[in-house]
Amino acid sequence: MNKLEHGRRRFLRRCSLAGIGLAMPAHGEELDTVKQTELPAYEGPYYIVFNAAGGWDTTYLMDPKGVGGINRLYGENDILTEGGHRYAPTEKTREGGVSNESFFQEFGKELLVFNGLDYSVNNHAPCSRYMATGKLDSLAYPTFAALVAACRGQSCPLSFLTFGNYSATGNLVAMSRVPYLPSLKRIANADSMDGNVNSPYHDDFALARIEQAIDQRRRERKLQSLLPRQERAESMLYAAQVNSQALARVTPHIPDQLPKQRLAQQAEIALTSFKAGVCVSANLTIGQFDSHANNDRDQMRLIPELLEGITYVLHRAEDLGIRDKLVVIAQSEMGRTPDYNKGDGKDHWSIGSMMFIGPGIVGDRTLGKTDEKQFALPFDTKTLTVNEEAGIRVRPEHIHQALREYAQIESHASSLAFPLGVNEDQRLERLWG
Amino acid sequence: MISSLHLDDIANEPFDGSRESLRNPWLLITKGKSLRSIWAYTVPIPGNRCAFARAVWMPAFHLYQHSIVGAIDVRDPSKCHSSLFRRFAISIALIICFGLHVIWGSSLRAQQISGGSCPELSQSSGMPFARQVFEQVVLTECYRCHVESGEASESEMVFQTPRLGFTESQRQVIKQNLDAIEVVARRRESGKSVLLQKVVGDLDHGGGQILKADSQGFRILSRYVASLDEPSSVPSDSKNLGSNDFFRNVERLNHQRLLRKAVLSLAGRLPIESELKQVSEGGDVELRSVLLNVMGEEAFFDRLREGFNDIFLTQGVDGNPDSTVLSYEHFEKTRLWYQKYDLSHIEDEKERRQEGYRLAREYRAALLEEPMRLIEYIVRHDRPFTEIVTADYIMVSPYTSRGYGVFEEIANRFEDSEDPFEFIPVRLAALRGRQEKENQESQTGFYPHAGLLSTLQYLSRYPTTETNRNRLRARMFFQHFLGIDVLELAARDSDAAAATERYEIPTMQASECVVCHKILDPVAGLFQDYWRFDRNFAIYGKRHEGWFEDMFDAGFNGEGLPAEERWRALQWLGERTAADDRFAIAMTRHAYRLLTGRVPLSAPSDLEDPRFEMRHRAWREMQCEVERIATAFIQCDYDFKELLIQWVMSPFYRVDGVAMASLDENRMLELDDVGVVRLLSPEQLERKIFAIFGKRWGRLTDQTAILYGGIDSKEVTERATDPSGAMGAIQRTLSNDVACRNVAFDFSRPKAERILFRSIETTTLPNESVQSDVQIRKVIQHLHWLILGREDAIDGVEVDRTFRLFSEIVADAKAAGNFDSREAWSCRQGLLSDVDDPHYTVRAWRAVVTYLLRQEEFLYE
Repeated sequence: MNKLEHGRRRFLRRCSLAGIGLAMPAHGEELDTVKQTELPAYEGPYYIVFNAAGGWDTTYLMDPKGVGGINRLYGENDILTEGGHRYAPTEKTREGGVSNESFFQEFGKELLVFNGLDYSVNNHAPCSRYMATGKLDSLAYPTFAALVAACRGQSCPLSFLTFGNYSATGNLVAMSRVPYLPSLKRIANADSMDGNVNSPYHDDFALARIEQAIDQRRRERKLQSLLPRQERAESMLYAAQVNSQALARVTPHIPDQLPKQRLAQQAEIALTSFKAGVCVSANLTIGQFDSHANNDRDQMRLIPELLEGITYVLHRAEDLGIRDKLVVIAQSEMGRTPDYNKGDGKDHWSIGSMMFIGPGIVGDRTLGKTDEKQFALPFDTKTLTVNEEAGIRVRPEHIHQALREYAQIESHASSLAFPLGVNEDQRLERLWG
Repeated sequence: MISSLHLDDIANEPFDGSRESLRNPWLLITKGKSLRSIWAYTVPIPGNRCAFARAVWMPAFHLYQHSIVGAIDVRDPSKCHSSLFRRFAISIALIICFGLHVIWGSSLRAQQISGGSCPELSQSSGMPFARQVFEQVVLTECYRCHVESGEASESEMVFQTPRLGFTESQRQVIKQNLDAIEVVARRRESGKSVLLQKVVGDLDHGGGQILKADSQGFRILSRYVASLDEPSSVPSDSKNLGSNDFFRNVERLNHQRLLRKAVLSLAGRLPIESELKQVSEGGDVELRSVLLNVMGEEAFFDRLREGFNDIFLTQGVDGNPDSTVLSYEHFEKTRLWYQKYDLSHIEDEKERRQEGYRLAREYRAALLEEPMRLIEYIVRHDRPFTEIVTADYIMVSPYTSRGYGVFEEIANRFEDSEDPFEFIPVRLAALRGRQEKENQESQTGFYPHAGLLSTLQYLSRYPTTETNRNRLRARMFFQHFLGIDVLELAARDSDAAAATERYEIPTMQASECVVCHKILDPVAGLFQDYWRFDRNFAIYGKRHEGWFEDMFDAGFNGEGLPAEERWRALQWLGERTAADDRFAIAMTRHAYRLLTGRVPLSAPSDLEDPRFEMRHRAWREMQCEVERIATAFIQCDYDFKELLIQWVMSPFYRVDGVAMASLDENRMLELDDVGVVRLLSPEQLERKIFAIFGKRWGRLTDQTAILYGGIDSKEVTERATDPSGAMGAIQRTLSNDVACRNVAFDFSRPKAERILFRSIETTTLPNESVQSDVQIRKVIQHLHWLILGREDAIDGVEVDRTFRLFSEIVADAKAAGNFDSREAWSCRQGLLSDVDDPHYTVRAWRAVVTYLLRQEEFLYE
């Protein structure tokens, strides 16, 4: 086993303990020295990954074609532009939600689009995993959202929120599912009856003794021989219980009125948790994009709904004062074929796109390209232009490598434990501007 | 519209597992109980128990029973003589049987308990290099296409599927497979090995490029090719894979703790004293006996249904099942029976309305339960578990049978015809549509039931669409019943877009697509007559244009569906599934998941991963155990209880820690997934609280259950495996609240009825006398066992710590001086008698229980 791998192994063992680090009380045998160190609030950046689950039709969004029968709802001449973006018109054809016109007009200046992403395969499960992790052939890799949560704020009580889609964590961080925001109110003050801080279960001195005993036991157990699973479980359990006390910070931010739209509901939970400093990242999901039966009808309902969700997030983040720390990524596990099938649907297509907004990301740009038949064109990773001779097929691992670098976690031990295998000369170093 | 047939031969009287029966199995015979249950109780033979018992013990029991009956028939003295002679002969036979049992049983037991269940891996020479190459590279990269049912079935390199069982025939198949690859590896074109050229996409390889020339996989194959000409070139670092006992330096639970763990897991209760004594004295043999008893309890069947729903997710049918499961087309007149149900005897309108709501609610719940009740029925009656794909019946309750329109015909078979959740097996008649042309084709007049496969719930849960063409159903079939994730077959770098564009029918022509579709589409075709997807309208129905021609023909595993079998295509599929070794493997994996909450390790495929060797070893050991247990499962006529017992006895379930202070990094990587260490689900946690305290907490439901990592079988289908901060908060609340509800309450019970504090009073104070301290320590010892399942010494470090917690809180309170002499108001509600707390001991004990409830041994399994 090489040195690097020794390091990895050591790290993997350590990182399961790392969640304790920030939350570990100052220990002492005497009761008065055992005081919980308050977990510092996580202050950003915050990451939201939108998943258009099922496979979006990029030609109805950021990679318009209007030729060769690819789109029935508009022609090439109908394609619109906004700064550096070309997009499909949907104002007249959408069912509810936010049109492309509104979205690009409002956010185009800060929006980075990458077209011509090669998913390589076109099946839902492998593609979802590939897009979420940057690794096609391993079930062990964490999603980007989980990875960044582990690197940035592993001890946050809701460090990695997920509402569906592929959400593997690589055993680095616990995933949280919060179905309904007010449900957090009930558990926010866990040591008080019915969450009422005026009615604690235990007197302060008794509770302090309990914490002291748990802490002592934990320290002694760490010195014992445990199986890796035991060690992980005990560490994560301890961190979860200790860090859970920070959940009390969430309740002041829970709004009285909750939105009704499904993406906005997810977003509200994530944003409230961001604001409270208890969360790093969230996987938001909207499904049913798999439009085999009736592509245009489905996509004209779902793309506007997705854009409405993104718009809600950006507006609400502004209200909460965290907009400048918010990173938004929108993706799907595949695209749709250039042709309609025998029905009115479109099937799976292994070429697609991604969208990014966030601090430090230079917007008003569309990188990468597909041809008139919706095939990806080779991309020069240094000049960020199409290059038929020297370009490469940009795949999820390239994007994920760039995302790790953007989040400044590429050298973090958690990232190193899950290498993406992207050669230096293929890195998208200037992707973000 | 629908008629039914009683299946008299289906219903066996269930074994009640009573204590009386346990002590005197002969009573079971005279009571007409299932013989299978009897020998399972009385002949606890490790290893191939079922085959042995069937072959030897069961006939012996029959004979012995007759001899006893004859012997006691004093009304006919002539029988006495002959019966005495018979008894003598049978006794001799029994002695011989016992001898065989001891010889065979002990050898099997030795293998079972020692672990190292992988015969080939435990050889000192390790696995041959060629076999390693096959498993590490060929199996993951070539095998999917180069099999008889695969895309490359016409090629010169076609692999056979080894049968289970570590048998000579299995070894032969492995040898044939190794020979097959060797032939291609040795053959040269342009001076280079054909194998090495094909795998990088040269020589017009149908599958294109499989490995890059600079990949680890290619390097391994190159070494293999070189080793054929020069055996000494076999790399030395690859020879010792698995050369040692995989479980060396790993500690295992003793029988008592193992029993506690298994009983809590399977039946949500703690073992009783006599059971603990039984396994303590009798070891594995008695453990098996107790477990079989436990698997007759109702709580076990609750757990069984819950565990299998985690896999099949049939509770997650969308919409109201009285409309989606029972379609308008076929059940129009009966499915909404509750709307017309006569409730006029309830005078109060509100009550009547409420009763109507209850009817609908429980009817819908019962409809969703049917598939899992089928599994329960099969296991409860010791029927071969293959019936989950072959059962020619479904389970119905008084409520659901009304929905099917068959209640009147079967009403007298129910013990309580108003019980919504009493289920009995029934075979439905073939469906009749509103128009004759929509009637279901059937040569027998019955619906062609095929276990779960053909249930309307399964078909609703996994619906089709015009373009999906039943592929979702086919995919789920492979995943659920054969343990194959078909989509993963294609999970490798390719250019799917180009392949799609290049061919007219990519799913039949492009190798990237064919690899899955050749397997998937024939099975999709078997579902072809369940071709309705207008929710609420129908599930069964033929496609008017005929089945798709741009798909591979209906069939399974390379065998086409005969036209005359089409009306019963799912039965045809079920029969073949049941006979397929992969079914046994899949069920073995399901059983493991049921017990541990996770699936067994999958084969690692990332050869570039520097941890590959260790991960592969870990997978190989697990796979070996899966195969061993699956073999026993088949030999036991697919007895699912036996499957669970095999896993419980397995070292993979028994491991408890590592014996050495530090193991090297590689060893720890090998052991990375070893051990159950399962975060209890909300349902399991509630059951555990009930088992310990005698009442549930009752708050791990609905949204709190989801927040605590539970599932809804629809949107949320995977249980959380690690606790988040939100879950940590729930754990804190739970520990506080459960302690609050139970500590003072327990003291309020008559002493003899107490669960927690049977041997102590609230007036017993710490540090007052040796006697009082011992008393307190004994209670702590008891609490550690009861709540944590720990067997701690009375003066051990754990008891010390808990004692210190208790005594320090009492001392702190005394030092503070001014405290209420009663428990907190909320924690003294509903007491059976007054419990004062003048010394703060009740609250200190509450703190102790809170402390224990927050520990891993309570919250995990």
